[in-house]
Amino acid sequence: MSTIDALRGRIGETAESDNPLVALVRPPYILLLPLAILLLVMFVGPMIAIVLFSVQPANSISLNPAVWTFEHYTEILGGMASGQGVYGDVLVNTAAVSAVTTVATLVFSYPAAYALARKIDRYKTVFLLVLIIPLFTSVNIRVFGWALFLVKNGVLDSIVSLFGVSNYPTMMYQRWTIILGTTYVYMPFMLFPIYLSLLSVEDETIAAARDLGATRWTLFRKIILPLSKPGVIIGSLFVFILSLGADVEAQILGGGSIFTMASNINYSFGYSQNWPLGSAQAVGLLIITLVCGVIILRTINLKEIASRGDS
Amino acid sequence: MSVESRGLTDRLGAGAWYGYVALVALFFLIPLFSLVIASFYDGRFFSIVDYEFSLDWYRAALSSGSIRSAFMNTVRISVPVTILSTIIGTGGAIAYTRYEFPWQERFKLLALLPIFFPLILLGLGMSMWASVIGLGYGILPSIVGELVWISPIVMFVVSITALGIDPNVEEAARDLGADTITMYRRITLPLIKDGVVSGAIFAFVLSWNNYYIVSYLSGAQSTITTWIHGRMTQGFTPVVPAVASLIFYVSLLLVVAAFLVEFREELG
Repeated sequence: MSTIDALRGRIGETAESDNPLVALVRPPYILLLPLAILLLVMFVGPMIAIVLFSVQPANSISLNPAVWTFEHYTEILGGMASGQGVYGDVLVNTAAVSAVTTVATLVFSYPAAYALARKIDRYKTVFLLVLIIPLFTSVNIRVFGWALFLVKNGVLDSIVSLFGVSNYPTMMYQRWTIILGTTYVYMPFMLFPIYLSLLSVEDETIAAARDLGATRWTLFRKIILPLSKPGVIIGSLFVFILSLGADVEAQILGGGSIFTMASNINYSFGYSQNWPLGSAQAVGLLIITLVCGVIILRTINLKEIASRGDS
Repeated sequence: MSVESRGLTDRLGAGAWYGYVALVALFFLIPLFSLVIASFYDGRFFSIVDYEFSLDWYRAALSSGSIRSAFMNTVRISVPVTILSTIIGTGGAIAYTRYEFPWQERFKLLALLPIFFPLILLGLGMSMWASVIGLGYGILPSIVGELVWISPIVMFVVSITALGIDPNVEEAARDLGADTITMYRRITLPLIKDGVVSGAIFAFVLSWNNYYIVSYLSGAQSTITTWIHGRMTQGFTPVVPAVASLIFYVSLLLVVAAFLVEFREELG
């Protein structure tokens, strides 16, 4: 009975939506249209603008289709290849910061995610809350908090001076300070995907493996690691692309002594007012982000996440 | 291995897991603690031994005209962003999770992609685009810019809730003769309410704390995050920790509220 009704309903719907304009004001289109239009105009448009500006002559602030040039790409790629000028350093710094951040967040997050998903019961909500709060605090404020902690005459200084330690090398403006900052800022993006993927490991699977005589190491290698692989992949890609865009961390904790791609792009836009040169550098970032973002979204299954939240 | 010693190693093991998570939690809290401690400290150079509690910097922050106008600008951006992104994101989530339509997966790809973009990329792209299409810079462009990043996040949060609902419920409502409006008002929206509320809270907090997008789009208007950034890089005063702490307290309260909504049943 209800199948027939459903079919009848469907016939009614197709009859009504013959006119595509009428269909647009009915669900689901009326519901998704605002988001689709917003993103086409203010997300796809700006990304195209980056690509178009990257082939404009230096210092142009409007698009002129008649003039275009690859000079910025030759400058950047030439600089990277020869290692001369700032671009060689920028490439090495950025790759190093992002790679080390990804590995560090993975190494530190995995045991914590595992503990939260499988070992911890009491106070679990409190721990989750503490881990989520930094995610909703301005990156400026968190980085500033680290600066207050690490700076000379800062919080750390006054804690260690209680133990009579007063002479130690400065903590700010070092390469590892930037990595501390990026590891801190992006660690939730590693921890939560791994945590969600580990929630899917069922107790029965573990018990069965134990009954069959699996050691802890075999259990980890053959069951837990493979099942958490989607989380590890999503988290790693997420942290990698986000840390490529790390600018405030390098600026505040690095004191401007180390240039990364993001700070260099920002410099081109801010101080030297050279949009095309900044855009050409941003295109590299854009391509990497697009590829990683699409991989992440194809790996994510919203339905699975929804069902795990209940367990 | 005897039963007793296994019990002991298990307990030690459990303690180690708790210890590790507590260490990570401590790491996550260090800069926030530092900020709050510094904001109440009376003086430039910090010391725990002769720590003097003071509310002077908060008083100075609240009475400063430039800080107040930066706060007002942030509110002027955050409130519309919260309302609009909640509507836009919830619409997208209902369409994606409760209907079938052509290009559905492509819609999801486009709709959720901005979440994974570094904000600096979104910010600079939009700042050039705003100049090309004549949108300009200021409060309105900042609102539109933040919507691009925050609406997808709301859609993500609401989708997770909406996917947990049995699709037959809506079909049953239709079979019983409910029209579309009645169905939404009586069935769909009440069921996804928790997701929408936490989505809205997250939207406000993210907009409240946003730096990269407003720094590219707000033009001459200074918001509280751009004000803090400016003071961090040049002209630090002890007022800065107090202002940053005020921002943090608001975020903290709201995130705890969102958490209570999400985990209401679990906390009993």
